[in-house]
Amino acid sequence: MPVAELKERHAAAIEAVNDLRERLKQRRQQLLDTDVAGYARSHGRSQVTFGPTDLVCCRTLQGHTGKVYSLDWTPERDRIVSASQDGRLIVWNAQTSQKTHAIKLPCAWVMTCAFSPTGQSVACGGLDSMCSIFNLNSATDRDGNLPVSVTLNGHKGYVSCCQYVPDEDIHIITSSGDQTCVLWDITTGLRTTVFGGEFQSGHTADVLSVSINGANSRVFVSGSCDGTARLWDTRVASRAMRTFQGHEGDVNTVKFFPDGNRFGTGSDDGTCRLFDIRNGHQLQVYYQQHSDKEVPLVTSIAFSISGRLLFAGYSNGDCYVWDTLLARVVLNLGSVQNSHENRISCLGLSADGSSLCTGSWDTNLKIWAFGGHRKVI
Amino acid sequence: MAAGSGGSLSLPPPCPKSPPEYPDLYGKRRETAKVQMLEREISFLEVELKSVGGLQHASRCCKEVTDFVTTNSDPLIPTNRKNRKSCRLWKWLCGIPCFNLSMICCCCYSECSCHLTCRPCYNCNDMCDCSLCKCSSCNCNSCLSCCTNPRRRCCSCPKSQCCGNISCGKTCCIFRFPSCKDRCYRWKCCPKCPKVRLCCCTKNCCNLCCFLF
Repeated sequence: MPVAELKERHAAAIEAVNDLRERLKQRRQQLLDTDVAGYARSHGRSQVTFGPTDLVCCRTLQGHTGKVYSLDWTPERDRIVSASQDGRLIVWNAQTSQKTHAIKLPCAWVMTCAFSPTGQSVACGGLDSMCSIFNLNSATDRDGNLPVSVTLNGHKGYVSCCQYVPDEDIHIITSSGDQTCVLWDITTGLRTTVFGGEFQSGHTADVLSVSINGANSRVFVSGSCDGTARLWDTRVASRAMRTFQGHEGDVNTVKFFPDGNRFGTGSDDGTCRLFDIRNGHQLQVYYQQHSDKEVPLVTSIAFSISGRLLFAGYSNGDCYVWDTLLARVVLNLGSVQNSHENRISCLGLSADGSSLCTGSWDTNLKIWAFGGHRKVI
Repeated sequence: MAAGSGGSLSLPPPCPKSPPEYPDLYGKRRETAKVQMLEREISFLEVELKSVGGLQHASRCCKEVTDFVTTNSDPLIPTNRKNRKSCRLWKWLCGIPCFNLSMICCCCYSECSCHLTCRPCYNCNDMCDCSLCKCSSCNCNSCLSCCTNPRRRCCSCPKSQCCGNISCGKTCCIFRFPSCKDRCYRWKCCPKCPKVRLCCCTKNCCNLCCFLF
């Protein structure tokens, strides 16, 4: 077929895709008879209220000398790994604030870190386009550094996010600036599956975040600079199961809702959104009007264990605690006593939901817990 | 055959030919692959369009979310407040002027837990109210006369969240990233740099590439 005819077919196909997407969007709109806040209000749900000391900072983890970019808890809730611009991973005992490991990275440009489900290993990735695994029980080398035990090499762009597949230390999923996500086998160091890419139907820009479904570890969601979130089944690489449109900017962060049927997103457009994975509905938008012209970007999100609270870090240093049912901000951790002095870049809930850890460009991590009183019956 | 006058044909002058055009097979295959991908996407979208009609309304999903959230307990959410009888004494004491007890009074009026103390309020209002000590509404001009601990917004640099420890330029902070190449264009200033901001892009991208970092 001549190239000119190919180009005509290409243009016609693009037009057809755009037309179908518009029609799909309109059909979906007809099904959006309410959102979560509208439903909750109509059923008499009252807002969560926080007193000034109900959620307090009970630990400040100091030790990094650069911006903190990423953090992750162990499933046993007592340890945290953090990654920083200073080129180190630090493993902390969350209860005592002690540092158990300070790992100097071969490439200082780290963007993400993750704890393995058993807590034996940590993974990190960044601008070196690789994901490096460290076994915390390994002996250090003669310089006192923990050696890299496995290097996962294959991405053609920076590694923006990584997460171990729950309940096994063998598989990890990474997202990358090369527009793909990859499922890796750590024992062989090889790619098991590549999601998206040049000739597969996937993201069309850098992928910035992944979140694996805790209820079904074969399913994960990714967020991208193309403004979409996509749902993937690890058994099907050729195409995303579903694409979620709606955001008007990069989707910086994605996180599954505790029930495993929904997930949240945070974006450069300043909104967080809640989507349903089974039917693709956008169930809620979380957005607070600002008097400034500049809308702060959402950098990171996390849900509380019940899903009632959505924690969202913003580029202006705010950390809103949203009541997910009523879509209202109930607390701003960015303005309470002893809060961070700069942008909160990462958030994470402990496995039992009792503590929130925040990491910031002020080089610190902070652990927040409930500090109020409860009625004892 | 010698050229002669009168009746003999003369050959046209030699004219160099352009090299033959080789087919751009790689480009053609690439274009074909893109078209195939789009046509596959069209078929997926058509299937999805047909199935949308059978989907449940959003209200059903909203009910599921509400039911799930309200069924599960949450260690971070306050439940019923304990009847703090001990604070009633403090409240009575705080009924009298308590200039020297401003810290304790702050606790009482804002219903802080009594075993915690509030940060002292300096140069804020005279009212004993912890919430006013946060100075969350500070802007840069008046910040120094507000809380004792200047907030991040009370920075003389207009883009303080960008700058950190690096001196603030007129627009964003400047940070050198060695592997940036080529010209800048929106969002792709330095291909290897994640999320480079337009405000920081200049023609000499290598040297003046601003990270979102």
